[in-house]
Amino acid sequence: MGSSNKKKKEKKKDFNKAKLKVGKAKAKAASFTDTSFKSKSITVNQQSLISSSLTPLEQFKQHLSLCISAKSDTARRDALAYITKHISSPSLSSQISIPLILTKLLPLLTDSASPVRTQLLKLLASLPAGSVPPHASQILLYVRSGLTHLALPVRLTALSALEWLVSVAGPSAVSCPGGWLKTLTSFSSMLGWNPSVSSAMASKGWSVGIKPVLLGKQNAKKGEPEAKARQLEVLAKFIHQGLKDEYDEGRTAEQGQGEADQAYWDNLYRLPRTPNPFAYLNLFGVPRDEENEMYLDRDSRARVFDAKWRAVIEKGKEDARKEGGAVGRAAAALHRALNGGAVVVTAAEGGSREEEDTEEDEDMKDDE
Amino acid sequence: MPKRKVAALEKVEADLVSLQYKIRRDPRSYAQEFYDQWLAYDAQRQIFISSPTTASSEDVKKFHDLVDMVAHVANLYPEITSPFPDHLKELLNQHHAVLDKELREKVVGSLVLLRRKEVIDSTSLLTTLFPILISTPSKTLRNQLYTKIISDLRESNSKTTNHKLNRTIQTVLHNLVTSDRTSSKGMWACRITRELWRRQIWTDARPCDVMKEAALSDNEKVVIGGVRFFLGGDKEREEMDDEASDVEVDLKKYKHQGTINKKTKKRQKAYEKAVDKIKRQERKKQSPHPLNFSALHLLHDPQGFAEKLFQKHLQNSKNKFSLDTKLLVLQLVTRLVGLHKLTIIALYSWFIKYLTPKQTNVTSFLASLAQATHNLVPPDVIEPLVVKIANEFVSEASAAEVAAAGINAIREVALRQPLCMNETLLQDLVEYQRSKDKGTSMAAKGLQSLYREVYPELLQKKYRGKAATMGLRSGEVKLRKYGEEEEGGIEGLALLAKYKEEQKKKKAEEAMEAGKEKGEDDDEEDDEGFNSDDWEIGSTDSESSDGWISVSSEEDDEPVKKKARTDSEVPDLVDLEAEAAAEMERLTMLATTTILTPADLAKMQELVREAKIEKAMGPQSMSKKRKELIDKHIEDGVTADDIELPAMLGKKATKEERAERAREGKPGRDEHKSTQAIKRSKKEAEGKSSTNKEKARKKNFLMTIGKARAKNKRSLTETKKRLTAHIARSKSGGRRRNGVSI
Repeated sequence: MGSSNKKKKEKKKDFNKAKLKVGKAKAKAASFTDTSFKSKSITVNQQSLISSSLTPLEQFKQHLSLCISAKSDTARRDALAYITKHISSPSLSSQISIPLILTKLLPLLTDSASPVRTQLLKLLASLPAGSVPPHASQILLYVRSGLTHLALPVRLTALSALEWLVSVAGPSAVSCPGGWLKTLTSFSSMLGWNPSVSSAMASKGWSVGIKPVLLGKQNAKKGEPEAKARQLEVLAKFIHQGLKDEYDEGRTAEQGQGEADQAYWDNLYRLPRTPNPFAYLNLFGVPRDEENEMYLDRDSRARVFDAKWRAVIEKGKEDARKEGGAVGRAAAALHRALNGGAVVVTAAEGGSREEEDTEEDEDMKDDE
Repeated sequence: MPKRKVAALEKVEADLVSLQYKIRRDPRSYAQEFYDQWLAYDAQRQIFISSPTTASSEDVKKFHDLVDMVAHVANLYPEITSPFPDHLKELLNQHHAVLDKELREKVVGSLVLLRRKEVIDSTSLLTTLFPILISTPSKTLRNQLYTKIISDLRESNSKTTNHKLNRTIQTVLHNLVTSDRTSSKGMWACRITRELWRRQIWTDARPCDVMKEAALSDNEKVVIGGVRFFLGGDKEREEMDDEASDVEVDLKKYKHQGTINKKTKKRQKAYEKAVDKIKRQERKKQSPHPLNFSALHLLHDPQGFAEKLFQKHLQNSKNKFSLDTKLLVLQLVTRLVGLHKLTIIALYSWFIKYLTPKQTNVTSFLASLAQATHNLVPPDVIEPLVVKIANEFVSEASAAEVAAAGINAIREVALRQPLCMNETLLQDLVEYQRSKDKGTSMAAKGLQSLYREVYPELLQKKYRGKAATMGLRSGEVKLRKYGEEEEGGIEGLALLAKYKEEQKKKKAEEAMEAGKEKGEDDDEEDDEGFNSDDWEIGSTDSESSDGWISVSSEEDDEPVKKKARTDSEVPDLVDLEAEAAAEMERLTMLATTTILTPADLAKMQELVREAKIEKAMGPQSMSKKRKELIDKHIEDGVTADDIELPAMLGKKATKEERAERAREGKPGRDEHKSTQAIKRSKKEAEGKSSTNKEKARKKNFLMTIGKARAKNKRSLTETKKRLTAHIARSKSGGRRRNGVSI
């Protein structure tokens, strides 16, 4: 039987010693896998462990790139922490450019890991106050994309960032292109006070419950009242910033009048000190619509606010006031802001903000 | 270490997809969520637009996802998303060169998606995509755009022809070709037009006009695109049509599978689909064939077009096109000249310098020359060319192939314009039938037989042959003068008239017989006046009562003819001729005196078909053959192969050629293997099962040995029983009774 002979041979073959021959390559094993490949270029990510050989600037840059490229949350957070620590160090501050750092790091505002976002807020807070206003519009774009993010924690982070922005660069935040109306739209959408949705739907004969469904389900028990209070609070600050008279904070009417006169003369005879002082002319950009327009002074802001948003926000505010509790208090602050008064936020509230955020995040995790 | 909890947000990232799903199911309840995401999209878009080149990959990814989500549900919230299409268009128009590859693909895909959801219309989609198609440097984007454009045009023309859209796009293409004649952007117009022509989406004159402009462009590539369209576009279209109808659905297979396999919804659907497809195919077969004119026939002003082509690309000495391109253009020009019988006198003198054996692709030039000849070309224009071919190609000293090609080219020219020849030259050429080379002699014989038919006076008497000599004497063979055309008629009309006459005769005879019987049987009844049979049969009967006159007249004629034939020849011929003319007149009367019914037309077609078959079976008349030959070339044009053909005669194929021919259409053979083994391995590779025979063959010997031994021990009766059972079983389809309905 030929086949069995053949099989015998085959079986034996496994145990025969492979003969090596001079001048010939060693026979490849049966399980050999070819791992060679061809490529036009090979990129190896910077992974050097030796940090001492790098100059401080190089280390800084390395961490900056780590913030974006690192896969693990902790690595990103640590890199951010490093940058937070060193950004204001005198040796580096002359060499690094704030705009570059902002363009690189702002996308992290909607990062999926809450420690990273918290760290980013800290980093923002540590930026030198004077360097922020020129970039207010850019920061505001990211804030807006965060305000209506799918996830509630990200929205809250964006709120905190907005609060910081209003406190550091309030005037430029409310007067940059799209900064006033678009931010208000985002706010109202976030709070579920949205007239455009209901009007769009109503025209089709739909009646709409404008309460957000997704968030309502997830956070009805725990997070929502606090979140809503927080939203109202930041909205109140933002509106206050937008509607306050530029020159009368804590001054008498005469002083304010005097400064206003000073500003008038400065405007006429002094060189402008802000970057891009003629931005409102929009000489080289695409034409802006009403939403994207710059509203430079209080009057124009108040005008569009009254025309578009006041009714909606008043109504929402009244509803919120009736709720009482933290929401009611925030609504009261909003009420004051709407009527041109100062927003008084208790120190306790301001201090515990960060902790609240993280707690909420953890709550969410627990829910899952 | 405890198992790591999945953070809420990591899920959230994927939640855009689930949100999309929820929105689709219940758009009302999720309007608020959608609006949030719309705002997020808007913010993200502004981030992106503020610096499209330096946008971080994170941002791009986010934007990509949001665009995807919004595009999928945009039709549900038309008021909120009204600016969305414009955003996408703007993005694509301004930043297509710097956009991230995936994002760019997504934006294009989203636009097409919006079109499919009827948020935007085809015109706006195509007018957006088209400018990018011709301006982008990226190959992948171009491919994507091209396929999208073609598929959208197909889609919008699928139910009914969308004339408005077609006209818009054709105008765009036309403008593209004509606006800048030196740029190669016209290639895209060529590609799109050709593709849509091939798919029979565009079949009218406008795409031909676009291609005409392309052929007149200054850019070589565009010219080639346009010219190739005219030369090969129609053939391509036919092939495509055949391919589409070739796909046969095997309904039997599905039925059979249905009896064997488990019955699932999927199988049921597949079966229904197959039935539907077959029905559609049948409907298509029965529906009248769409009358598609060829591109060459749809041209406006072919004379102007051919003249321009010739002057611009061929006659112009500054033109730097390659020879291949020039040949293509020449083919088109000559095709046009031959097909529409145009007159471009300068073309023929232009040919002269190319008619030497050393010219590359000279056979193509010869074929073009033949193509450019028709009966309205003045003979004195062509004669020098024929003389030149004869001098350059046909001599004892030249190679056999050259001589054969030369004579054959002359024959092709003479076929179309026989007056181009003079007596001495023809005699000289005809002498070549004595050549030793088979190709040359066959070519010369072909020339001779051609002239025997069209112009036998030109041949020496000894070469005229019997038929031609007889024809000359009887005056049957007549030289057609320059510009003379054959009289036309309705094809098959004579046949129909003859058929009708025969039918009439038959009926008359029947009626006569019936009348005789009637006359014998019931004369009295007939006289009484009222006859029910008469009324029922109606008009035919009454006709036959009139018709007896004609019958009798023909019967009278016949004996007269017989008498005439016995007389001398000359009056006979004259008589015959006159009779034929009278016959012809009588036949054509049918068309002028009666209205042909559809039944008549159908009958006429049938008769023509029969007559053709009869002719094909028997010997064919030369003039018909010639006409068919010319007709064929009007359809397909003369090619270089036609000219080279006689030179191939009598040449043995080399071994390689024979081997190549033998290998054609056979499975590839890398190693030495039996055909069976190749088939089997192919089947295995396709994932098909083995047959029972193969299984039996592979079966282990030890497993069969018991049965084999038992077989030896069987008694004779037992063996017989087994054998009869085996036969019965195999007749009824094996143990399972396969393929037999019980």
